[in-house]
Amino acid sequence: MLKPEEAQRPYTVTELANEIRRELRPLTALLVKGEVTGMKQGTKGHYSFSIRDSQSLIGAFIYADDARRLTTLPEDGQVFIFRGRVDYWAQYGTLRFIVDQVEFDDIGKLRAQLEELKRRLEAEGAFAAERKRRLPFLPRTVALLTSPTGAVIHDLQETIWERYPNMGIVVYPVQVQGAAAPMSVARALRRCNQERAADVIVLARGGGSFEEMYAFNTELVARAILDSKLPVVTALGHTSDRTVADLVGDAECRTPTEAGARVVPKKSDLMAQLRERERRLERETTQRVNREIERIDLKRQRLLQTLPALVRHRVERLTRAAAELGRLSPVAQVARREEALRERRRRVESAAAARLVKSASTLAARRAPDRLERALAERFAGATRALAHRGERLVALSPDGVLARGYSITQDAESGAVIRSAAATAAGRRVRIRLGSGRIGAKVDEVER
Amino acid sequence: MSQDLTYEQALEKLDEQLKLLEDGNLSLEGALKAVDEARVYLKICTERLDAARKKIEIRSEPEPAE
Repeated sequence: MLKPEEAQRPYTVTELANEIRRELRPLTALLVKGEVTGMKQGTKGHYSFSIRDSQSLIGAFIYADDARRLTTLPEDGQVFIFRGRVDYWAQYGTLRFIVDQVEFDDIGKLRAQLEELKRRLEAEGAFAAERKRRLPFLPRTVALLTSPTGAVIHDLQETIWERYPNMGIVVYPVQVQGAAAPMSVARALRRCNQERAADVIVLARGGGSFEEMYAFNTELVARAILDSKLPVVTALGHTSDRTVADLVGDAECRTPTEAGARVVPKKSDLMAQLRERERRLERETTQRVNREIERIDLKRQRLLQTLPALVRHRVERLTRAAAELGRLSPVAQVARREEALRERRRRVESAAAARLVKSASTLAARRAPDRLERALAERFAGATRALAHRGERLVALSPDGVLARGYSITQDAESGAVIRSAAATAAGRRVRIRLGSGRIGAKVDEVER
Repeated sequence: MSQDLTYEQALEKLDEQLKLLEDGNLSLEGALKAVDEARVYLKICTERLDAARKKIEIRSEPEPAE
């Protein structure tokens, strides 16, 4: 039972809560060291977890704004030094430690953790040189994963465009330090690969302390780099030792300017390179054509000199042959003979006709019987003369004389027709050839008109 | 001549044709063919130089789902 003086009006729960909060007010800007458990990220970016030591535990909370400024995000099982204030959450009647700053409990322990990660990655061959991808000699677009403001992105951009004025640049702004940095970098690496936005990635940030660089020593970033299909060039300006990102990256540079030079060749060099090859190509082409022209010229010269003589020679031979042919040709000879004979026959016949007319008139004067007898005798004599005359002609006309000098007369075996021109016969026909002495039977092999 | 050659591949093929020409023991037809091919690779390289388009694009992170 409450005593009377105590029986003043009872607190409401809210009043009590306020009373407690007033009591807790001095417990601000406290440092508490403990291990993290049950770390959960709330919807609005707040984090709730517990801090404990071997005997006791206290609920802890980090508002989103504070979380963004933290140098590192506490992870379960890690021991940190938390700075903050004790708060009584009236709504749920719970006591909480509101954290606004997290300090590594012990840099040394953190480094130990880092070395352990490096050993594991090394064992996997993650640092092996042969795993490193070759940078594209001439990318179309370069992806820059860095903070969207500040000297780093400026230097990168300036170096790239100074070397290659029409180079495409895609920037994936990322947080380069603080609790969200590892996730921010890993996500940007994945997105850049999925969107195939570039041919090479530059992951860059300015110099910083061990804690500020810590995001690039996390396994999350290391895995994201290893999984990247696009080559990753790291330019993590650091005074301290190399980060895991440098070790797994495909190329490591000291400064953004060096990285800019590493990913992009100098366009002027490439153009000079092409002009030089074009010059060589032109020279080869003209030289080759000139050589060809000279060769043809040479041939033409020689032809010009020899041609006239050649032609003259040919013409002479032809004309001689024609003349010769004309003289020797049997046909021409026979034609000449025939002409002569026709002439002689005309004379003979006209003489004979005149004789007949004369003798007819004398006969008329005599009597019939002796006229008849004389007529008969004359007829007979005339006949024998005609016959002898024809014999003569036969001998003269017969080709034997001509043949004796090596000519031959070809006749068609079937029809016996004399073959005067090639057109009168055809391949396969049988012919008879009369020589000076004897004959030959043959078959026409080839006809040349 | 496939068009998806990289700059380096096209340059290498260009040099191959140049060497053939400079060795000098090609027939006239062979030489003309080599010149034509070399010209094609030279064109590919020149085009590749201007293929990149000057631009800067900021692809900021999509806000985490609230």
